[in-house]
Amino acid sequence: MSQPETWKEKLAADQVLPDLAREIDIYEQQMELRKQGKIDEKVFAETRLRRGVYGQRYDNGQRHDGTRVQKLKLPSGGLTKGPETVWDAPGMMRIKIPFGGLNPEQMEVLADLSEEYSDGVSHVTTRQDIQYHYVHIEDTPSLMRRLAAVGITTREACGNVVRNVTACPLAGVCRDEVFDVTPYAKACSRFLLGHPDTQDFGRKFKIAFSGCKDNACGLVTMHDMGAIARSKVVNGKEKRGFELYVGGGLGPVPHKAKLFDEFVPEEELLPMAQAVSRVFARLGEKRNRARARIKFLIANLGIEEFRRLVLEERAKLPSDLRWTEYLSWAHEYKEAPLKPAASRNGGERPEGFDRWYATNVYQQRQSGYVAATVALPLGDVTADQFRALASIARRFVKDTVRTTVEQNILFRWLSEADLPEFYKAVQAIDLGEPDAGTIVDVTACPGTDTCKLGIASSRGLARELHYRLSEKSLELDAAVKNLRIKVSGCFNSCGQHHIADIGFYGINRNVNGYQVPHFQVVLGGKLKDNAGEYGVAVGAVPSKRIPEAVERITERYVRDREKDESFQDFVRRIGKKEIKQVLDDLTKIPSHDAAPSYYADWGDPREFTLEDLGTGECAGEVITQAEFTLAASERELFEAHLFLDDGELVKAARTAYWSMVRAAQALVKIQNHDVSEDEAQILAEFRCRFCDTQVFYDKYAGSKFADYLFKAKDFVHNGSEVTRDRAIQLVQEAQLFIDAAHACHNKLRSTASATRSAASPSGMASAGEG
Amino acid sequence: MELQKINVKFFVAEPDQVPLTAFIDIFHSWIQATDGIYYDVADYSHMHNGPGILMIAHEANISIDETGGQRGLLYNRKQPLDGSNQEKLRCTFRAALENCLRLEQEPSLQGKLKFRGDKGLFLINDRLLAPNTEETFLLVRDDLEGFLGQLYRGVDYSLARNLEPTERFSVWMNTAVPCEVAELLKNLEA
Ligand code: HEM
Ligand code: SF4
Repeated sequence: MSQPETWKEKLAADQVLPDLAREIDIYEQQMELRKQGKIDEKVFAETRLRRGVYGQRYDNGQRHDGTRVQKLKLPSGGLTKGPETVWDAPGMMRIKIPFGGLNPEQMEVLADLSEEYSDGVSHVTTRQDIQYHYVHIEDTPSLMRRLAAVGITTREACGNVVRNVTACPLAGVCRDEVFDVTPYAKACSRFLLGHPDTQDFGRKFKIAFSGCKDNACGLVTMHDMGAIARSKVVNGKEKRGFELYVGGGLGPVPHKAKLFDEFVPEEELLPMAQAVSRVFARLGEKRNRARARIKFLIANLGIEEFRRLVLEERAKLPSDLRWTEYLSWAHEYKEAPLKPAASRNGGERPEGFDRWYATNVYQQRQSGYVAATVALPLGDVTADQFRALASIARRFVKDTVRTTVEQNILFRWLSEADLPEFYKAVQAIDLGEPDAGTIVDVTACPGTDTCKLGIASSRGLARELHYRLSEKSLELDAAVKNLRIKVSGCFNSCGQHHIADIGFYGINRNVNGYQVPHFQVVLGGKLKDNAGEYGVAVGAVPSKRIPEAVERITERYVRDREKDESFQDFVRRIGKKEIKQVLDDLTKIPSHDAAPSYYADWGDPREFTLEDLGTGECAGEVITQAEFTLAASERELFEAHLFLDDGELVKAARTAYWSMVRAAQALVKIQNHDVSEDEAQILAEFRCRFCDTQVFYDKYAGSKFADYLFKAKDFVHNGSEVTRDRAIQLVQEAQLFIDAAHACHNKLRSTASATRSAASPSGMASAGEG
Repeated sequence: MELQKINVKFFVAEPDQVPLTAFIDIFHSWIQATDGIYYDVADYSHMHNGPGILMIAHEANISIDETGGQRGLLYNRKQPLDGSNQEKLRCTFRAALENCLRLEQEPSLQGKLKFRGDKGLFLINDRLLAPNTEETFLLVRDDLEGFLGQLYRGVDYSLARNLEPTERFSVWMNTAVPCEVAELLKNLEA
């Protein structure tokens, strides 16, 4: 047998689920079509974003080197993968890890891929995902296939879709939870993935699950939709359900989620999520991205009206087996420990163990078992470490490993007696750092390291704070030690600074005629109570003086706090004005000549500039379902070409015909979003909406293009013999039909926007403002 | 076997002489002195035995790499190379050695950085093309030895394949006597 030359060949036989394999094939074909210029760059951008393929800093093809802007040498010759995004520029790949659950095979593959396609580092994000940086787009299909072979998909990791569904990393082992939310998070993430009702959002949609209300872990109230486990006795029987929240979200304008229902019975969880999605897709803002999250829709409508609409939608939903078929599995769901429970019983305590034990180990509800946090510096893990963690998992716990929103990795179901050996094993790969979940364990978004929107270096600052705080960790007052620091590189708050005790986000200030990186100081956010409160901004401090600011604030807290006063209460009591005074002299820096380092950022010797800021891809443009479907028709036509090349004439003819049906469906979607996949319905609707009305009508060719479609239908259905010439003709006609569909779509779009402008007094599109 | 994704690492003689973060500034200054070849510097100085400090480019990344706890300059060729295997090996080794020499001569390091010519690592960063097996070694060996004959100019050397199955295919190269990277580079020029 010959050696497989591609991962597609190697993995084709058995390892990739057909659905996932098909998804990736489609993506690869879209790449090919984009290279041929057959898909618009905006459509392609959203297509790749929906598969987790993100842009990265400098991918507009230029970079400021500290003295001048350099044009980067990229061989793609003008080809782009999105607006102002050069094809060959390395990018970021986000990999969805639902509820953070990982098994050893997955950890090994993640490690391998980081070496072969990235820079050797897997990065754990603030939403339990994994990211790679500096990935070349040509490698992404292979990368996806290798992930798919271990059951991981990157689908909808980004874009205006349902993002990774997160959950408390302690779910199932927590002492406070009502029940284990893991199976519900899993079912929800599966059910909504690729669901037709979640494909037409104006913005991303984030879901989180929590096992209880009071702790921090689930961060429910900062999510678009969040579910807290609840139980209730009904007719003498315990019934599971969820306290459901909607409309939370961070970003520049953080909103706390509103209570939707105190108790949604478990069987109603998925239909309710579906109904919420439908209302959001239908009524959510589509053009003004800045106001397109569901939080704005709910704020506009009011929660009562929103609830009414959702319930009305729920009542109309055709029943779906998937809503409930997972429930019996969910009730039985239980992780099995690898080792029997055993206490440590005094046993050996290696050096450093006690200190690590104090902060990194959690006593599980199940006696004799603990969960231990492996603290990752800035969320980063090398390939060697990740592989070693996989074998540590095999040795001690098997597959009960989770990533956390604190950018760490949690090993659950460790038998207590194994702890010293476990500690030695993680220490041997330099991952035995103590202080997890303390002020030392700073989290940060990617910031200027790799993010196009980054203003200041969040990772640079986090690294510096981590060094300084861990050096004096032993001397820190307990009240200070329990505080959390979170850093974002800009106001978008990917580092979740709003919910930290001490948060920072990057801004730029002009000082002495120079741009100077600063951080806005945000104090008093609260992680507990599922991200119970958001902090308030108290003032901007130059980046290089932030460590001093942290010192001042924490010293002041220790000095002046009233007995057992929480940091939040302390901040509230002494007030913004006084805190500003505490920081006041730190806002000043020496002149540029005297101390140029203040004019550069952490870990970056270049003089600070905003020249590198790009247009962000928190998600692509809003691409309508019609545009997506048109792109799908192009891809099907491309497949027809391939069949033709291979001499598979019948397949070529059928696929060409289907590409036309798809294009017709795209147009129908403009008017009837819910058009089915049924051929007869599509053709009937296309005929009455577009042919009879002469909307799909060419000034010169008349109804010729529509006739291609209907003639092809007769031909295919009559089972006529397919000669090579006839197949070629069908493929050519399909191309003309699809071109005409594009023209029709563009015509309708421009008419629609002209009508909108005419209706608005300023002549500008008005929807969505305010 | 057609070689691609060739990586080469040469090791630093006394790593403690220079802090890892010194290379951040150096790489930025190199970028300033070139024109658009490098995209960025990535700083992993917070990691233990990690990829260190990298300079990212389209064709190849260059880094001061600390994988395995052994600091060295890693030249990671990413884009496909044309030509015979001998030509490809020559091209990657030469690029690696040139960068080593350039760092040795870097004024800000004041001669504190020296690379060892007697110890190197050859690696193929592609598990499909080059699974880490004896079979791959047999396929690569002739080409590698043919090339190393020229690189080491008759000095005895030994090859040892990395036997850890989960790691990428790699081969340690050790010469019997110490030598400098400048000499190796000269051998290649000749
Ligand atoms: C306007 C653009 C953006 C907005 C408004 C935005 C907003 C946010 C918010 C509010 C979060 C985190 C809070 C949560 O858990 O919900 C988040 C997560 C995140 N963002 Fe952004 N972001 C934007 C663009 C970007 C870009 C360009 C990058 C880097 C390439 C980025 C990287 C991240 C990362 C790594 C996370 C953790 C997410 C995950 O794993 O799912 N963001 N973003
Ligand atoms: S907070 Fe800003 S800098 Fe950080 S990842 Fe998000 S968009 Fe980028």
